[in-house]
Amino acid sequence: MEKRQKSLVVVQLSGGNDYLNTVVPYGDDDYYDFRKTVRIEQSDVLQIDKMYGFNPHLSPIKALYDQGKVAVINGIGYDNPNRSHFRSMDIWHTALPDEIGSEGWLGRVIRELDPKSENVLTGVNFGRGLPRALGVRGVPVASVGNLETYGLFTDMQDEAEKSLALRAFTHMYGGMGKDSVMEYLGQTGRDALKGADILRTAPAKYSSTIEYANNSVAQNMKSMAQVLLADLGTRVFYTQHGSFDTHSGEIISHAKLWDEVSGAVADFYDDLKEHGRDEEVIVMIFSEFGRRIKDNGSGTDHGSGGVAFVIGSDIKGGMYGQYPSIKQADQLEGDLHFNNDFRSTYSTIIDDWFGLDSVPIVNGQFEKFDFVKA
Amino acid sequence: MTIHKELSIPYLKTIGIVNNGFNGRGFQNPHSVTIGPDQKIFVLNRCDVARRKAIRIGVMNYDEDYLYEFGYGFGSGEGQLALAVDMVFDSTQRIHVTDEFNNRVNVYSETGEYLTKWGESGSGEGQFDGPSGITTNSKGEMVVVDQRNNRVQKYSNDGQFIGQWGQSGSREGQFNLPWGVCVDGFDNIYVADWRNDRVQKFDDSGNYLMSIGSSTPHDSKLLRPSSVAVDSLGNIYVADWGNERVQVYDDNGVFVNTLRGEATLSKWAKEYFEANPEEKETREISDLTPDLPEHLNSPYHISSQTESYFWGPVSLCIDAYDKLYVVETNRHRVQIFQGAK
Amino acid sequence: MMSTQDVKLMAHLMRRAGFSATRSELEKFLDKGYEQTVEDLLSPGDPGNMPDDLIRRYHVEQSELRELSGAGAYWLYRMITTNNPLEEKLTLFWHGLFATGYAKLNQARALLNQIDMFRSYGLGNFKDLLIKLSQDPAMIIWLDNNDNHKDAINENYGRELLELFSMGIGNYTEDDVKECARAFTGWTLKNAEYMAMRAGKDSIWPYGRIAWHYEYRNDDHDEGKKTFLGHEGNFNGEDVIQIIVDQHATAKFVATRLFQFFASDDVDSESHDQVISEMVDAYFDSGYEIKAVLRTLFNSDYFKSQECMYSRVKGPVESVVGTARLAGSYQQPHLDVDKLWFQTMFMGQGVLAPPTVEGWHEGVEWIDSGSLVERVNYAAKEFGDTTKSGVRDIITRLSRTYSEQINVPDLVDGCLDLIGPIQVGDNTRDSLIDFVSEFSDNNVLDISSFDSKGSKCVAQTLGLIASTREYQLA
Repeated sequence: MEKRQKSLVVVQLSGGNDYLNTVVPYGDDDYYDFRKTVRIEQSDVLQIDKMYGFNPHLSPIKALYDQGKVAVINGIGYDNPNRSHFRSMDIWHTALPDEIGSEGWLGRVIRELDPKSENVLTGVNFGRGLPRALGVRGVPVASVGNLETYGLFTDMQDEAEKSLALRAFTHMYGGMGKDSVMEYLGQTGRDALKGADILRTAPAKYSSTIEYANNSVAQNMKSMAQVLLADLGTRVFYTQHGSFDTHSGEIISHAKLWDEVSGAVADFYDDLKEHGRDEEVIVMIFSEFGRRIKDNGSGTDHGSGGVAFVIGSDIKGGMYGQYPSIKQADQLEGDLHFNNDFRSTYSTIIDDWFGLDSVPIVNGQFEKFDFVKA
Repeated sequence: MTIHKELSIPYLKTIGIVNNGFNGRGFQNPHSVTIGPDQKIFVLNRCDVARRKAIRIGVMNYDEDYLYEFGYGFGSGEGQLALAVDMVFDSTQRIHVTDEFNNRVNVYSETGEYLTKWGESGSGEGQFDGPSGITTNSKGEMVVVDQRNNRVQKYSNDGQFIGQWGQSGSREGQFNLPWGVCVDGFDNIYVADWRNDRVQKFDDSGNYLMSIGSSTPHDSKLLRPSSVAVDSLGNIYVADWGNERVQVYDDNGVFVNTLRGEATLSKWAKEYFEANPEEKETREISDLTPDLPEHLNSPYHISSQTESYFWGPVSLCIDAYDKLYVVETNRHRVQIFQGAK
Repeated sequence: MMSTQDVKLMAHLMRRAGFSATRSELEKFLDKGYEQTVEDLLSPGDPGNMPDDLIRRYHVEQSELRELSGAGAYWLYRMITTNNPLEEKLTLFWHGLFATGYAKLNQARALLNQIDMFRSYGLGNFKDLLIKLSQDPAMIIWLDNNDNHKDAINENYGRELLELFSMGIGNYTEDDVKECARAFTGWTLKNAEYMAMRAGKDSIWPYGRIAWHYEYRNDDHDEGKKTFLGHEGNFNGEDVIQIIVDQHATAKFVATRLFQFFASDDVDSESHDQVISEMVDAYFDSGYEIKAVLRTLFNSDYFKSQECMYSRVKGPVESVVGTARLAGSYQQPHLDVDKLWFQTMFMGQGVLAPPTVEGWHEGVEWIDSGSLVERVNYAAKEFGDTTKSGVRDIITRLSRTYSEQINVPDLVDGCLDLIGPIQVGDNTRDSLIDFVSEFSDNNVLDISSFDSKGSKCVAQTLGLIASTREYQLA
């Protein structure tokens, strides 16, 4: 059987995920000294080894880890860490830490995968509005708020009226434009219709025994599975979940968020496996920054140095990078010291998973990891 | 003319910190405070639109231990709130919360169990168009400001309509989008007549007694007052929302003092700076009560630049010990003062 | 008597100098006449927009103005309810030209204060505007002038002032950039260290944001001699700006950018060059008054010509605000007004959040399949609602002009007239007629009450017109 094309799913944890409470250095007494309140007790940790373990609310990911499907990228970040959500997220999206960039790294990946923009669905974002990571001028990317209702005239309740409106739209945008602007508008309208028509077919074709939970990230990942299994040629899938900005009441909210994310990712993986498609897809999970080493009595504040995960059947599971020391002397302004540039992970995915050239996409050469199976 | 000695109202402390999440200690655009059993402090978080699903009431004590919180989400379902405005305990220790979007009052137990609701949309008896301020009198009756109907209504604490007065206008006994309400020890009723820039005082039956804030000397005039409270000596405290201050009047309505706010770091704020020492260092070399250029020299802009001043004082409360609680929705905190003893 | 031609021209003026206008507004302007309307637009009076006290009482996020979406919605409220549409439109222009974004500032109020400054100075003297811009705390943080010290200059603001804000590249040297930066040393904001740290960490702790204001630090200003664009002296920022505004390149730059925003996306004909050159003359003759430059443009033959009409692609904000004004939405505080800001962002122009210092790429670049879907769905929803006052006004006018029992072509032509008037191609008109015919089974439509099927058809037709290619143009 012909091997299908490889795809990437990106799950963005918005708001700054608390690394220390995600992969917990439970064997380090300093952790409990700095985390007087906002901490995961030793007895609750899902042990990886004598020093580190997963937060119990990552148990579905831990199960995948135990099967060797999860690469944990420790200490990920970039020089001169920025602790502002928007700016740091921009840096991750544009792969440019030192200047304000205008092109998203995944937009560039999509342009390489589909240079002539033959498929308007090569990149699909699940959620409304386009993340900067996917934005490159001239690269069409669909942003799908709800797969079932995606398209034009979504607020028209009456189906008969809606179909009349769609017919009128098709006619109006079908005619020749009187000049290049009108022609361009016509083409764009026809593209929009086409993309919507194709996407709408995905849920109908789908059948699975997996029951995804009723939260936004789970439903978005279900939509991803539907699009992927419908073979629409989508190669880059994107969604985000949050808010991980846990300045207060972190123990409760962080647990809920990870229950949702890890449940969604594991369901998605099982869904693909059920359809024999798990080897085509990897899932990358990242956040714009980690959080302070010392808690504030209720939550944790913006920090630096974080953790990313890359998950899939074609991933060599294990711990990658160095878990940064949390000793006072080793801290960076009260935060974890990053020790691998996030573009190393990007480069590994671009080169070793997609088989593209990462240098122009991430704006430079970065040492790669070895987490993709040959 | 009587000469009045300035009333001394010492500042005690600040409770609060901004909370930009969906749970836990700290406040999200708090809109009301009330004191429950055992002097527990209940704070109603109206929540901004980005966090409105977390609309809730937080409970703490004076020592700033955050005890618990409750809420049923944003919406019109059972127990849910949309635009919550004010709350008060009734004589049976149940909390009544007004909702100016759902046009109803939700009732919860002290521990947060949703019990019932009363009121519906409309302009008839037992109906609301924007219920806002709520209080209770010595007879256990509930007094509610019905803002867009420009009236005050009275109910029993199980929501049975008792009476009403007021209409739209600016004359005695008329209102223009009134907001807060309180009663004094004689069951007189004080209404923050928001867009008429005054507080009106009525007797228990709704007979007009006097107005405060509109005909007083210029510097003690009210601008869009949001809330009013009376201490055990009859001194009247008004949240002068449009001027970002609290005005204090004696029992005859004669102006005696202004509070501008003097917030200090709460326990929670201090803990924040312990975890973020570099921010504390630059804060310490800063002048946090700066002189402002003319175009930013209005009370609203001054408060936006001066962290210790009141900003968005939307609600006042006086407890059994004459402590005055000032809720600032834009600063996510409660400043506490000692009222007249 | 007003002619169809007059109505068309006035609607064109209001699409460009404002955010489209309802028929009642157009009638008021037509009573005054074109030139008087231009004068009134150029001399804004009481904006009569939704009052701050109401906004602040109902929308806590627009009282605190801590975050982007609340601040954006606050400005959109103003654009939708103002009686001074040109004031807001021009402010939007300056916001695009002097593009300052939330991402680096994390300070929505500072951006709104900057917007207020554009409102106060935007129609006035360009020299004053550049001085205020250079003293604007949001701009200072955005382009790092708080890091521009007498013993260690940071060129960022000095460079962009010349390149992006006044003269344009090619009209000055690298030395001029350095000397310009030196002149702006010491132009910073109060408590710069703490405020920059809070901005950098997006800190709102402990009690929300602390607003910003300008501070001049004399002890950090470089008092040495400077050579700038051939002039020598111990220049401070104001002196440099005086030299800048005297340059022909500056006049050309400002006139061209205003022309592109208000007249035509592309500058590609002799008639365009002619108007721009008249605008340059007005700039110098008036002593750098923007008002004079705009008066010249709006009263030019080119601006009033058929060639100029529909030669611009509406930007997302123009589109969202124009549609809301026509539909009569958001005249009172509305629970979901924040969604408007997200709407502009989904269409590619989140106000207060330009992607870079270069602002937005305009013209056809506004349109891609995603943003077009957003435009269509937003407009169809706004107009497809017969409870909206603007929609009701159109229904009432239709029944008065035609009849409560209206036939299909009259309904289509009447809607095209009252939503603009908007010119559409035959293909578009035919499609609309087909739509209404099928909707009504070729019958006459009853629009005697707002909940009749006929009225609903009017609303859907308006929504469909707002979905056309033609409606995307201004």
